[in-house]
Amino acid sequence: MNSIFFLLPIALILGGIFAALFVKAARDGQFDDLDDPPERMLHD
Amino acid sequence: MAAAIIRGAGLERYYQDREEFAPRPGPLRPGWDAVPVTICDDGSAEVRLVVDGLRCASCVWVTEHILQATPGVEEATVSYATGRASLRWDPDTVDLGTLAGKVAALGYRPRLLGEESKPDQGLVIRLGVATFAAMNIMMMSAALYLGWVSAMEERYAALFRWASLLLATPVALWCAEPFFSGAIQGLKNRVLHMDLPIALAVAVLYVHGFISTLVGTDTYFDSLSMLVALLLTGRMLEGRGRRRAAEAAVSLAAALPATARRRAGDAVEVVPAGDLVPGDLIDVGAGEEFAADGVVAEGEATVRLALITGEAEPVLVSAGDEVVSGAVLVDGTLTVRVERVGDETTVQRMAADLRAAADRPVRLSTADRIAPWFTAATLIAATLTVIGWLLAGDGGTALRACVAVLVVACPCALALSRPLAAAAGLGAAARRGLMFRSADGLLDLVDVDTVGLDKTGTVTEGDLTVVSADDTTLRIAAGLERFSMHPIARAVVEEAVKRGIPLPRAEAVRETPGKGVTGQVDGLDWELAAGGPGEVVLSSESREIGRIRLGDAVRSDSAEAIAQLVDRGLEVVLLTGDHEDVAGRIAAQAGVTRMRAEVDPAGKAAWVRAGQESGSQVLFAGDGLNDGPALAAADVGVAMGTGAASSVLVADGVISTWSLKPLVSGFQAASACERAIRWNQRRSIAYNIVAVSAAAAGWINPLVAAILMPASSAMVIWGSSRIEASMNDART
Repeated sequence: MNSIFFLLPIALILGGIFAALFVKAARDGQFDDLDDPPERMLHD
Repeated sequence: MAAAIIRGAGLERYYQDREEFAPRPGPLRPGWDAVPVTICDDGSAEVRLVVDGLRCASCVWVTEHILQATPGVEEATVSYATGRASLRWDPDTVDLGTLAGKVAALGYRPRLLGEESKPDQGLVIRLGVATFAAMNIMMMSAALYLGWVSAMEERYAALFRWASLLLATPVALWCAEPFFSGAIQGLKNRVLHMDLPIALAVAVLYVHGFISTLVGTDTYFDSLSMLVALLLTGRMLEGRGRRRAAEAAVSLAAALPATARRRAGDAVEVVPAGDLVPGDLIDVGAGEEFAADGVVAEGEATVRLALITGEAEPVLVSAGDEVVSGAVLVDGTLTVRVERVGDETTVQRMAADLRAAADRPVRLSTADRIAPWFTAATLIAATLTVIGWLLAGDGGTALRACVAVLVVACPCALALSRPLAAAAGLGAAARRGLMFRSADGLLDLVDVDTVGLDKTGTVTEGDLTVVSADDTTLRIAAGLERFSMHPIARAVVEEAVKRGIPLPRAEAVRETPGKGVTGQVDGLDWELAAGGPGEVVLSSESREIGRIRLGDAVRSDSAEAIAQLVDRGLEVVLLTGDHEDVAGRIAAQAGVTRMRAEVDPAGKAAWVRAGQESGSQVLFAGDGLNDGPALAAADVGVAMGTGAASSVLVADGVISTWSLKPLVSGFQAASACERAIRWNQRRSIAYNIVAVSAAAAGWINPLVAAILMPASSAMVIWGSSRIEASMNDART
């Protein structure tokens, strides 16, 4: 059970990395427009 | 006071930015000096902006007052419905950059009209972070709750609590920031809205959790993070719906042609419509729209003014006649001397008047009205709990029960009930062809008792169709007209095709704009010419062979839709600028018992206002620019999306198909939505009464709270999802 003292922080750090990636993606505009891209191919 | 609010909101935001993430674009954006402004006669400058991020009535209030309190500002109005601000200021005293900076410092995002609307990235990130933290905290809380059963070692429990605190800190301090700033702004303006109890709950939960972690007792961090994540979801849904409706209106508003053919000496050059100046000569051909107002210099043509007058029948114009931008040239060619361009044109001026009329007063939502009572009731309940337990002589339980009361008195379901139900209601109506700009417009339908319908284009097709003709006449006429783009020709050909008449071959066809058409069919000479209003005469060698009567036909499903409206207990009235006889015929076909003929645009608006003065809630549906004043005056204005763009701009809702049926669906969606909101609010109030009583009695612990709080939100989600289901029931 002592391993949890290592595993829990590691899990949180890994999760934190993914949260940071999400924040970066959102700032790059990944989630700005969720409606148009699926329809864009129909307009070409 | 204004400075205090700016300092409060501005510094707070700055602090949050520095602590958590890289700085967002500062309040002062470069480029405001380059914004084109209109300089008025008295030397003051004027501009219209869009302000993003206005969430509530008090946001609008605060923005207006800050701007008005700035020295040099002569006029500042902000519309909640459209997010538009109009500003008039003295350029010698203050510049636009400073004014925009003041708005930005409040946390709203000013931008130029026509600049692309950016969705709130910050909200998405806040929601993402809150969800991430909530899921992790819930996992650790599950372990802690299991620890109650199978005695967990204290050091593990402490680890989980500290890890939860680590995750809950950004949620409470950063993700929930919109609620704190909303609550603070509300307090400063003496408006208590729904953000206040939310901010209060978050603060109590976090402070309690922080102390509990230090002393090693149970926290409510799972409830806290879930509460914030759910509320941010609700807020995002609300913003998305509003933005999509606004975008739909903007895309429909792109009206004027982008280019014009300008005479340059003997040559013709294609120039952007914006480059035209009064005095230019432009060529306009069949099927083209006029890019500017002007006077016909040469040529003869028929012109369709449906956009401006709403009537289908084209009119003949020749040298010396006036034409307006937005009208469509049907056949012939014209050279027009430009007189007015851009914002000065008749269409743009009418549209501007309508936009001004569309800025309506703001209303508080029911949840915002309940908020102060909710907050007061919660605080009173908490105080009573402490007093009660102290009287009973149990100090320890007094504190715990008091915290439990503050924690479980969840404003969550109450705050979510309206955005969720509204999103479901707006979606249900939109899928059936009626798009609403805001939830207010949809919910206003519930109180509507009188429906005014414009005739042309709303109840009728808006295009000419053949009313009566015999097959022989129709066959020859269709042969002569088969290659013409004139509305009468298209109606004749369409009718012939519908009756299955094979179109004969015509030779030597000559079309004279405004007169008619001549040609040879089956080896004989024919002439098809106008023969009185709504009639064309087919003759051969000056001998009349037959007549074709044309008119504007009632749309095939209008009668059914109107019958359904009448079934709902609505008073349906037909309004038209047409002659009494025509109106009477259409009214009879459409099944409308009350009508008003020969009313002009102002008359329609006056009819709406007369209805409102006699205590009715009036809905008006129309399509032309001439319906604009009535649409703007009505409690609910519904534009046919296929009609004039400017009437779409002032309407609350837009029908996106050629039918009145969506209007019926809109009424169904509105009442389903209103039922759902009431149901949601009743249930969440009931939940709060039960939960607060249990908490006061000392029965609530973190596990019970963690189950009860999402359960109350799930109830609201379920209540809203029933809207679509009840709509489907209503249809079968």
